[in-house]
Amino acid sequence: MLEVRHIARQFPAVRALDGVSLSFEPGRVHGLIGENGAGKSTLMKILSGIETPDEGEILLDGKPMVFRNPGEAMAQGVVMIHQELNLIEPLTVAENIFLGREPLKGPGIDRARQSAAAADALKKVQAEFSPEDLVSSLSLANKQLVEIAKAISHEAKVLIMDEPTAVLSDKEIRSLFALIRDLRSQGIAVIYISHILKEVLEVCDDISVLRDGKHVASIAAGDADAAKLASLMVGRELGDVYPAKSALPDVAPLLNVADLQVPNLVEGISFSLRPGEILGLAGLIGAGRTETAEAIMGLRPCTGKVQVDGKPVSAKGPKEAVEAGIAYVSEDRKALGLHLTLSTTENATLANLAHYANPVVDRAQEKAAVEGWVQKLGIRVGDVDAPVGSLSGGNQQKVSLAKWLDTKPKSLILDEPTRGVDVGAKREIYQLVNGLAAEGMACLLISSEMTELIGLCHRIIVMRQGRIAGELSGTEMTEENIMRLAAGVGA
Amino acid sequence: MKAGFFERYGSLLALILLFSIGAVWQRDFFLSPENLRNLLNQNAYIGIMAIGMTLVITVGAIDLSVGSLMALAAAVGLTVVNRQMGSGAGETQAVAVGALTALGLGTLLGVINGLLVTVGRIAPFIATLGGLVGYRSLTLVSAEGGEIRSASNTILPRVAKGGLPFPSLPDGSPLFTWATVLFLLTAFAVAFLLNRTRLGRHVVAVGANERAARYSAIATSRVKLASFAILGFLCGVAAFLQLARMNSVSTSGLGQLNELDAIAAVVIGGTSLAGGKGRVWGTVNGVLILGIINTLLVASGVSNYWQGLVKGVIILLAVLIQRGSNDR
Repeated sequence: MLEVRHIARQFPAVRALDGVSLSFEPGRVHGLIGENGAGKSTLMKILSGIETPDEGEILLDGKPMVFRNPGEAMAQGVVMIHQELNLIEPLTVAENIFLGREPLKGPGIDRARQSAAAADALKKVQAEFSPEDLVSSLSLANKQLVEIAKAISHEAKVLIMDEPTAVLSDKEIRSLFALIRDLRSQGIAVIYISHILKEVLEVCDDISVLRDGKHVASIAAGDADAAKLASLMVGRELGDVYPAKSALPDVAPLLNVADLQVPNLVEGISFSLRPGEILGLAGLIGAGRTETAEAIMGLRPCTGKVQVDGKPVSAKGPKEAVEAGIAYVSEDRKALGLHLTLSTTENATLANLAHYANPVVDRAQEKAAVEGWVQKLGIRVGDVDAPVGSLSGGNQQKVSLAKWLDTKPKSLILDEPTRGVDVGAKREIYQLVNGLAAEGMACLLISSEMTELIGLCHRIIVMRQGRIAGELSGTEMTEENIMRLAAGVGA
Repeated sequence: MKAGFFERYGSLLALILLFSIGAVWQRDFFLSPENLRNLLNQNAYIGIMAIGMTLVITVGAIDLSVGSLMALAAAVGLTVVNRQMGSGAGETQAVAVGALTALGLGTLLGVINGLLVTVGRIAPFIATLGGLVGYRSLTLVSAEGGEIRSASNTILPRVAKGGLPFPSLPDGSPLFTWATVLFLLTAFAVAFLLNRTRLGRHVVAVGANERAARYSAIATSRVKLASFAILGFLCGVAAFLQLARMNSVSTSGLGQLNELDAIAAVVIGGTSLAGGKGRVWGTVNGVLILGIINTLLVASGVSNYWQGLVKGVIILLAVLIQRGSNDR
């Protein structure tokens, strides 16, 4: 039996784990759930030897253990299968399974023995490929089987699986679950981490919930349902995900875009956006939505007219766009939206630094502004001077929003604002956007989540291949209609 | 945090350690006021360039041309001093015009480096490699590869030897020469610029992630151009100090390998070569560390030929210590 007692881990900006005690019994599948940033990954990294805890202990069959690296954890039979599989593609299945502990014959590798032992391990996971196949030739599901076979050949007592179904088809998920049950019957303790509550309920015996680094509940899967788990994860009843839409004031448009063209990507986009309106921009990947936003922002060479309040915005660069009152929250938070190595404070004031610095930065004023945003947006941050990269996805997104709201824009373009953000933070972002619109902000919402567009927007423009394929409003805003326009079928 | 301790104070600790070694090992010589004055005075010019280099490396670039650029500014500056005096101008006026020429030319060449990188979109390493050989060539041309001697016999020596009246050495000469004073002033000014001003914040942002900086409506080209221009200006300052100190300019020798010393000082000081993190006072420590090593090796009679190896080991140690604390 694997046990953790009072485990704590402090990162610069957050207390990722705060006194967590859990036990994982042999022959049971233990689900571990929680929002992004709840501490699941940190706990698993500690169990598998990637991180070391600041406090607390790990016990394996009652004996205290210290895992300084993954090798030491594996040697004790604690093996983790990561979401991104760790296989060497150009090597064979057998070579991967025995990587780093190849059976030797004299100075060379005993290929026959390696192959036979690999075949043994593969049989236990009911794999239908040969140990001599190249890993690069296998499907994702089969690669996962190789990882599991590798774990079994390590005589795993505890198998940790992180989001194992993320890349699998329905049929593959069924056979994975059958395999997990089989491993369970062989007395292995399986720790199963997933966001998909339905699957957790199906495959697990016990379910533990983490929230803000603390262990909040452990229940038998038979006594749980998805609603109960979700409310345990966020710490309250969820209620309606989308706030009620505010009424549209009958005023002149604030943002006018006319015949916007980006060579080969955007071909003649025109629309107007009123203050207080949330306009959705739907479309498949590659339809030109992000490129449209970047062109409006002056980040891409383009032709066409952009006007704010009737005044033309020169498309020279993002600075001109910001001065005209447009802000763009990029879809790529880590590469474009934020400076991960800079602090929360430095990020939040970066787009509006002239306000705080002329030319010397007024740190007191800067700090006050950042504290205001932390409160207003509910950013969970331990230390505003720690690198923003140490925050969870949802909190990073809020810092990114703060950075742009700090420029006091009249028009806000949000590009996939809830991507990689957990349920609770998503809902907070929806409320925030709705509130901003109610106060008169003109919002353009780019999203691939159709329910989000339908739940939040007054109107939806659907793009296809750089052009506007159609516009939907009121009751026409359905997933079927959006898909039909986005894919260019029927109609 | 604990992890950042060596990163932040490593260079200071190394400086204190080396200084203590020197104080114990070469007691009478090392702690003498003359030696302390010389240590600061002789390294001031490289220090001023290294501080400018800190800015350019923090913005995510590098400048290999600083040694040649400084030499060219010094050669032209001194030529102007001599011409002025030759055409009957007073010595003070001649030196003033020469100094302004060195500063102006340094700034101009820095701007050219910056334009090559921003408008010309040439990788900084390559763009300034061109300057390294190109500016040197122009320097050699200016005096047919020989030495330019100064016609200023009173003012320039006075600039070189003068300094703060207090504290002074037994012979009445200053402990802090004007070069040392400028070195420390430059450190204060650039540290303030980098840590407290809008331009400094932008330099860090561009160095940490240039695309994200552009998406944050920062004029990234202007920020880079400004960094190169400031470095060029500081090379001009260094050029004037050098031509005063030597009261001559050797067109083949002056500034040789200064770019490597400047970069080494920046790296020893804890500034990341990848950009986005600059430590001006770390660079000051780095300059003094290299200076003390030189002094100690010379004083203890170690052959010139060994000095490079010792420097190399120190640079590698500095990087290893900082990496050890960073990756965790």
